[in-house]
Formats: sequence, C-alpha cells, structure tokens
Amino acid sequence: MSGHDFHPLVKQLLDGDITLADLPPELRGEGEAALRLLAAVDRTDISMPAVTWRVMTTLERRRRRFLPWLLAPALAIAAALVILLRPTAPAPTAALVTVRFVLVAPDAKQVSLAGTFNQWDAQVTPLVRTGATGVWTATLTLPAGQHQYAFVVDGVRWVPDPGAPAVDDGFGRRNSVLTL
Amino acid sequence: MRSGPQAADGEIVRAVLAGDRERYARLVERYRDRYARYAARMLGSADAAEDALQDAFVRAYDQLAQCKDPDNFIGWFFLILRNRCFAERRRNRTSASLDAANDVAAEDRTDGGAESAERRRALQLALMELTPDQREVFVLKHVEGLSYAEIAERLSTSVPSLKMRMHRAYDKLREQLRDHT
Repeated sequence: MSGHDFHPLVKQLLDGDITLADLPPELRGEGEAALRLLAAVDRTDISMPAVTWRVMTTLERRRRRFLPWLLAPALAIAAALVILLRPTAPAPTAALVTVRFVLVAPDAKQVSLAGTFNQWDAQVTPLVRTGATGVWTATLTLPAGQHQYAFVVDGVRWVPDPGAPAVDDGFGRRNSVLTL
Repeated sequence: MRSGPQAADGEIVRAVLAGDRERYARLVERYRDRYARYAARMLGSADAAEDALQDAFVRAYDQLAQCKDPDNFIGWFFLILRNRCFAERRRNRTSASLDAANDVAAEDRTDGGAESAERRRALQLALMELTPDQREVFVLKHVEGLSYAEIAERLSTSVPSLKMRMHRAYDKLREQLRDHT
C-alpha cells in the first residue's frame, strides 16, 4: 500500500458498504475527500438517436450489395441456357448511354442513387438539387442493358423511381428497372 | 405475431430471424441510449461511442442466430459492445483523451459551476488512465449504478475479483486526482 492509497475502510465507504459515520474520526477527512471524488462522477444521460438509422442503413446497403451475388448463380444458369439455345448469335456490342435521373423531393436534404451500376453504394452517386423547386437530378453514362436502382433520400429512405417500372427485389422491397 | 411497441426482446429477435428485418430497429431504439453512456465513458468520446454502438448492433445482427437466449438479447449484446470497446481502446491506447474530457465537460453545464465541471473533467481524464478492466467496473458501478453482484453476473466473474479491480482503481484515481480531492 503506497502513501496515496485509500484506507481499506474508506474503500468500503466508496463501495457503499459503510457510511461516513462508521469511520473512526481520524479517517473522516479522507472519507470526505473520497466522497468528493465520487460526487464528480458524470451520470448524465446520453442520447444517440442517429444510431438507429446508421445501423439500419448499413444493413440495408449491405443487403443490396449482396443481392447481385445471391442472384449470380441463377443468372449464370440463365446465361448458359441462352448461349446453348443460340450458339451462333453474334456477341452484343457494348454501348454507353447517357441518362438523366430525376426525383421531385422538396423536403429532402440530400438524395443519392444506389443501384447495380454502383454496387448499391448510396454514398457515391449524389443527385444535385436544381433551383428551389425540390427537383433533384443526376446525369450518368451507363452501359446498355438493364439496371436496377433506387433513390436514397436523406441517407435513410429507399424510394423507387416513380417514373420507372419496378420489380420485387426478393426481399419485400421494390427496385426500379431501367433498360437502355 | 404481436408487433406492439412493448414486444419482448425474444419475440423481436425471433421475428428478425424469421425474416422481419425491419423490426431490428426496435431493439436498436430500445437499447442504444441505455448503452451510449457506458460506451462514451469507456471510450472517452461520444463520437467513438456512437461508432462502437453502430458496429456492435450490426455485429449482433450478423450473429443473431447465435444468440442462445433471445429473451436475454441485451445481456448478449452487452458482451459484443464490451468487446468492441475494449478492442477500440487497444487500437487507440496512446490517443489523448482531452477531447473526451471536453465532451464530458460540455455536457456538465446543467449542474454546478466551473469548479464542479472542472472536477468532472479531471475525473474523466483520470478514468482514461485506468486499465479497461478497472475503468469498466468503475463505470458499471458508479455511472450505471449496478451492484457488484449484478456486474459479476453480467461479466461472468466473482465479486471479490471485481472488488480487487475497483479498489486498485480507487487508489489510482486518488493518485491522479490528488490536487482535486
């Protein structure tokens, strides 16, 4: 025990096993100092409301990233069938198409796109608000073919494109479909 | 299946495992604030605590099928959060805790004057000098208000072992705070 250690009885006081009155007089001063130490303990409640949407957005984003991988075996079988059925068909020419995405969301603070073309990452393709009318747009150049996507409003709400057809993603949500 | 706000943890866990993933948000909402303070005091930073809580809830979701007693989801979740907090401290052992103490001080304006805030700030800094084991038992007893028996049950350890840790923590805090007591 060093000179800075509390007396064992004072430790019992800090543990709540005895009261200040139970200490012998010569330890009262040390006991009072020890209680002042405990009085400085911060028991303020802390609220972290953002944790809920951070967790749920992480789970949602990851699920959408995994989805193409889950479907990949089925797509591979379908592709093999197409090749077998049309062995002499010429290979399609890769083409790029520029397309503009538009969403009217006057109350949104930020809007982004998540889809098969960006691995469902809602962070990488933001839309830009045009004027004060609440119209959000993004112009992308994408390979010809079919793409699935959704708008992500304020980083939380996944919204299908009201102006495009949609398909069930197999997990109870709707993905918009764009065919170029 | 009942879906009211008071659904038991076990019921929600089973629903999530059955495919109703959205209901996991209920568990997060139910416990995020209760453990925010523990994480903040363990890590010394509200930002680090928020990251730790997020990671722990995501990890718990990933491993939900391994939760052997869904009705005690929170006891199981606490151990995941605890591991996350300990790992964080190992990674950032040398990082200064001044910001942490300032975080605490900023929350302290509701009661007492500058002297009280300074004491709290000093105690928070001193807490960060304890070992994680010592800090944890101090936080659980004196911040969260748990008894030694409750802490022992939660951490699967004995009361004498906890008291030994705590008593070392008292001495270390006294040494750190000798100008403040």
